[in-house]
Amino acid sequence: MNLFRVIIIKEFQQLKRDRTSLRLMIMMPMVQMIVLGYALTTEVKHTPVAVVDHDGGPESRSLIQAVANNALFAFQGNVDSEEELRENLDLGKVKLGIIIPADFSRQLESATHLNPGTAGSASLGSGSAGAGKSAGAMLQLWVDGQDANSAGVARGYLSAVLNQWAMRKLGTRLEAAGIRLDQLIPVTTDASVLFNPLLKSTWYMVPGIAVILVTMVTALLTGFSIVREKETGTLEQLMVTPLNPIHVVVGKAVPFFFIGVAELMFALAIAQVWFHVPFRGNYLALIAFTGIYMLSSLGIGIFTSTVARTQQQALFIIWFFLLFFMLLSGFFLPVENMPHWVQIVTLGNPVRWFMHVLREMFLKGSGFAELWREALAMLTIGFTVFGFSVLLFNRKAA
Amino acid sequence: MMSRIRLRTIALKEMRHIFRDWQTLVVVLVMPVMMMFLYGYALNADAKEIPVLVEMPSPAPETRAVADKIDASQLFSVKGVVASAADPAELFRLHNIKVLFRFPPGFARDLRRPGGAKIQVLIDGSDPNLGTIIRNASEPLLLGATVEVLGVKQPKVLDLRTLVLYNPEQSSALFFVPGLMAIILLMISALLTSVAIAREKELGTMGQLLVSPLHPLEIIVGKIIPYLFLAAVDGLLVMAVGRLAFGVRIAGSAWLLGACSLAYIFTALSIGLLISTLVKRQQHAMFAALGATMMPTVLLSGFIFPVASMPLQLQVISHIIPATYFLEIVRGIILKGVGLRELWKPLLILSCEGLALMAIAINKFKVKL
Repeated sequence: MNLFRVIIIKEFQQLKRDRTSLRLMIMMPMVQMIVLGYALTTEVKHTPVAVVDHDGGPESRSLIQAVANNALFAFQGNVDSEEELRENLDLGKVKLGIIIPADFSRQLESATHLNPGTAGSASLGSGSAGAGKSAGAMLQLWVDGQDANSAGVARGYLSAVLNQWAMRKLGTRLEAAGIRLDQLIPVTTDASVLFNPLLKSTWYMVPGIAVILVTMVTALLTGFSIVREKETGTLEQLMVTPLNPIHVVVGKAVPFFFIGVAELMFALAIAQVWFHVPFRGNYLALIAFTGIYMLSSLGIGIFTSTVARTQQQALFIIWFFLLFFMLLSGFFLPVENMPHWVQIVTLGNPVRWFMHVLREMFLKGSGFAELWREALAMLTIGFTVFGFSVLLFNRKAA
Repeated sequence: MMSRIRLRTIALKEMRHIFRDWQTLVVVLVMPVMMMFLYGYALNADAKEIPVLVEMPSPAPETRAVADKIDASQLFSVKGVVASAADPAELFRLHNIKVLFRFPPGFARDLRRPGGAKIQVLIDGSDPNLGTIIRNASEPLLLGATVEVLGVKQPKVLDLRTLVLYNPEQSSALFFVPGLMAIILLMISALLTSVAIAREKELGTMGQLLVSPLHPLEIIVGKIIPYLFLAAVDGLLVMAVGRLAFGVRIAGSAWLLGACSLAYIFTALSIGLLISTLVKRQQHAMFAALGATMMPTVLLSGFIFPVASMPLQLQVISHIIPATYFLEIVRGIILKGVGLRELWKPLLILSCEGLALMAIAINKFKVKL
């Protein structure tokens, strides 16, 4: 045990002497947190929209106004023809186009035309008998579908805005005829958003970024520090001392364990102070979870060092791992949307668990009572990865 | 001044370095293919079967029918029904649900009263994207379901017909392949090249090469040639996998795509060269290449995250990054099928950036000698 202490002291001294790395460790995550916090947004905002208005009546102008006034869109004005709209889409100046046909006002008129009926059972529809036979006023939407995700979201926003406008039109039309909308549709909804009432992207993404950064820094530093000793030949010198290879490698990991926990606290401070993300959980529980998670992330670093011979290789291998862990963690695309078998694969992904834990702690204030399954999963993965890597290192060293 | 034999010698030497380092080679060749499969099959922004809890204090037939309709919809899947939710937040914490639909006690009775019934929708907003989807979808769904249960037809005022251009099947792979090209070409041209040169400096072998009869320019050009090949092979690999596995076809001219890729590789090589003249150690080259080129490219070029949603300062940076222009070109050619008439501007900016960077790099390189 004494020998183990010696190696830990050596590692701390080495770390203290390496000023460049220390500075990198503090500066890089800080800058990255702040830049990433702004850049990694899954929100779809300022989508450029253009309109071809063949109708030109007051109804179509009111509809265009409703779209132009909405902050989600950047209204680019009217264009004269479909060809011009297409050209704007080709040039990338516009992502959404609305084409209002020449008889839009007339169609709208007949769609909201009231069929006289007994009170309370008034129905809508153009001339034809029966309720709801009208197909509605036709509008064409052209969508730049290159990015399926943002295209889908932008399209959803646009139809919501248009439908709201239509319901408002219908409401005023009915009111003029002395009928309230709730006689036609006797139900209303009242939506409220919990935990993140303004639906801010930063509240969701910044804790996720902290997970990625902490994983990257600790795995990279552990991997680098072992591989560097390999490259310079000092690892062999350590191996011929009475030290056990397991002591050497675990001793190397210990300082980075503390750095990892400190780094996460630091990230937490940035999230709260700079991005005003509320932390509603318990700090001690957070430290405990981070400690559990460090097993996995340090394990990845050690594993890498057994495979890599140069620091460049270490960098590439860790990058490779992290990319997959990150994409399959629900960081920006939810795990729930993945095919079933991929979801099963993600059960072995430590980043997925810690990502979930940190987000739940931050926004919902969950603790061990709610997250014990996650803790168990992280412990299992952590001990497996760490144990396997240390044993592999031991075998290779022997 | 440059001899072909000497160039070939140094290129072969570098080639041997590349092949000996199989770990890096595997990552460089396998990573893009695996990422394509991930994007093609696994990563999906379409929310389905969102877990829902329903609060139903007095289960009348109408209430149950509406709840069934919620469950039957593609978007939601009812995980359970509770009689009363005293602490909704705790329900969200304990059960992995995203929405709570709260029906009032007298829902069925209220439906027949003036003013109608009111359904409360509580949404877990932690994931803002999902929260927005739920908020936008729940009202039309609930109204439609209730109206249907009552046997009334919902009035339809607008008939929206959507035409999806450029990527009608909405495949993520189609969007992702061009982006991947930009990342891979940059990774090989800027990162690998700068590290390769820095390594020779760090190990002192650069000095040995410089005192040999080789001209410094021959050393540099010779070192770069194998990476050019590697970049080309990787680019073709991505295109081939994209075509075979995901049916990604080039809508525009393949020749134009090749020419523009060369312009981009030239720019990326200039960056790599510039980094290698500035640093002395591998690790610094790596950090510079990663921090100053790879990260901004992945994050700010519009590769995954839409540029238009970023704050203005980041949009400005985004318009400095060469990959932003390359992405515009590649997506234009592959997805939109447009040509030089639409793309001359980004191509011009890209080429100018490349020339400027190369001029600076060569200048620095000479000064160092």
